[in-house]
Amino acid sequence: MLEIRGLNVFRGATHVLKDVSFDVRTGEIAALIGANGAGKSTTLQTLSGLLRPRSGIAVMREGEAVVDLTRAAPEKIVRAGLVHCPEGRQIFQSLTVAENLAMGAYARIDRASITASIDEVHELFPILKERALFAGGTLSGGEQMMLAIARALLAAPKLLLLDEPSLGLAPKFVEMIFEVIVALKARGVTLLLVEQNAAMALEIADRAYVMENGRIALAGTGQELIENDRVRRAYLGVVE
Amino acid sequence: MSQYVFQQLVNGLALGSLYALVAIGFSMIYGIVRLINFAHGDLVMIGAFSALAMVALGVPWPLTLLFVVVVGAVAGMTIETVVFRTMRGAPQATGFIATLAVSIAIQNSALMILTGQPRNFLFPAAMRQRIPIGTVSASLTDIVIIGLTIVLIAVLFLIVYRTRLGTAMRATAENLTAARLMGVAVNRTILAAFAIGSALAAVAGLLWGGKFGQIDPLLGFVPGLKAFVACVIGGVGSIGGAMLGGYILGLAEVLFVGLLPPVFAGYRDTFVFSLLILILLIKPSGLFVRHVEDRA
Repeated sequence: MLEIRGLNVFRGATHVLKDVSFDVRTGEIAALIGANGAGKSTTLQTLSGLLRPRSGIAVMREGEAVVDLTRAAPEKIVRAGLVHCPEGRQIFQSLTVAENLAMGAYARIDRASITASIDEVHELFPILKERALFAGGTLSGGEQMMLAIARALLAAPKLLLLDEPSLGLAPKFVEMIFEVIVALKARGVTLLLVEQNAAMALEIADRAYVMENGRIALAGTGQELIENDRVRRAYLGVVE
Repeated sequence: MSQYVFQQLVNGLALGSLYALVAIGFSMIYGIVRLINFAHGDLVMIGAFSALAMVALGVPWPLTLLFVVVVGAVAGMTIETVVFRTMRGAPQATGFIATLAVSIAIQNSALMILTGQPRNFLFPAAMRQRIPIGTVSASLTDIVIIGLTIVLIAVLFLIVYRTRLGTAMRATAENLTAARLMGVAVNRTILAAFAIGSALAAVAGLLWGGKFGQIDPLLGFVPGLKAFVACVIGGVGSIGGAMLGGYILGLAEVLFVGLLPPVFAGYRDTFVFSLLILILLIKPSGLFVRHVEDRA
């Protein structure tokens, strides 16, 4: 579904992504783990069109459609089915919960199917229905994360990029978010998950990549990386 | 209420309406692109002169009003596309200086084309009659200004709070990156904000000409500056705040001149800008904004 080859991205003069290559296959959960500043968020921002690479290939294939992510504008990429749920939730604080959800569906036209999707996320996160007319900024951190994910789902993603969905959340919310991620996979959504919580991410990931200093340092299935000594020491906190 | 005090109140509300129309656009543009647009006042002048041209051609007033709306919107979108868009992402000071440059360019082009000679701008005689309200009376011009402003502001609020475009504008103003990730083509949203804000300023220009009877190519400077003050009073970036700030400023200015001894009349602008300094000292986020956050 996603094919990335030799991607080089700069922020100002800083060379952030160095020759990054990886794949995400249709229907799977791929995890990207690594320390702060390794380039995980930059990778997602490049894929959603917010940043332009200096060189390299990033292509999304969806059925017959092929989208060149290095050239398409963000609004085109969203319409092609690649939806990026950014780090730090970034919900619209001054808009109501309902308006936030409407913004999620901004790129869609068919009203009947939007209404159906809103009912679906209300079922997934009942609190959002209760709070529909409250400003997004009045929600708790966990509720805001649910709103951020719900908003992304309303864009009808075929490939969902999730940036640190568990960051700063209470354990019960973290568990809930991971349950939702697994449920999304069951519904046929392909996911690329960026996480600091490496243990939980690797557990649900079909494929995983470790990023260090802007490079892909390790790749394998989730299980392989859980058993890898280097990953255990550096990211899973195992002392041996 | 004595006729005198009533007359001052109506006068202040009419002036406040004009400030509010200009301030709302100023605030919308700041809200969405974080640009203090000092060329905004010149749209008032462009509106006034395009109205004058239509009246000279014998075009009926309702059509003239429509024409002014279109000219204002097109002028605003042109400035945004040609000048401000090319500077997006530059430091805030660069954008600010660019708006001053645009303002100077517009004013001097107008001076060359139209000369600095003030021109008479007259509403039809029927507009200048006085309408009795109980024991007092008000000029029809002021009533029309106040009424039309209320209608325009109501339409604006419907657009901003009840349409897809308005929701996208508010979302973009709060978090441009997140709005892009939702599929908002932000350049189009920004263009819409310039079109709407500039059209309101141009209508203010038509009404300004009608109220004061004379227009000249530099007439936009004062309303532009006062709109800025109105925005600071109400909280820069807030549409409701800009509207209230405009009315407060208009009323305060007229009552200052009207109710104090005539010897103070010359200090009208001193009063306005002292008010600005006072608010910046006491409540820099504006009277109607609870807190200010920088955009993520």
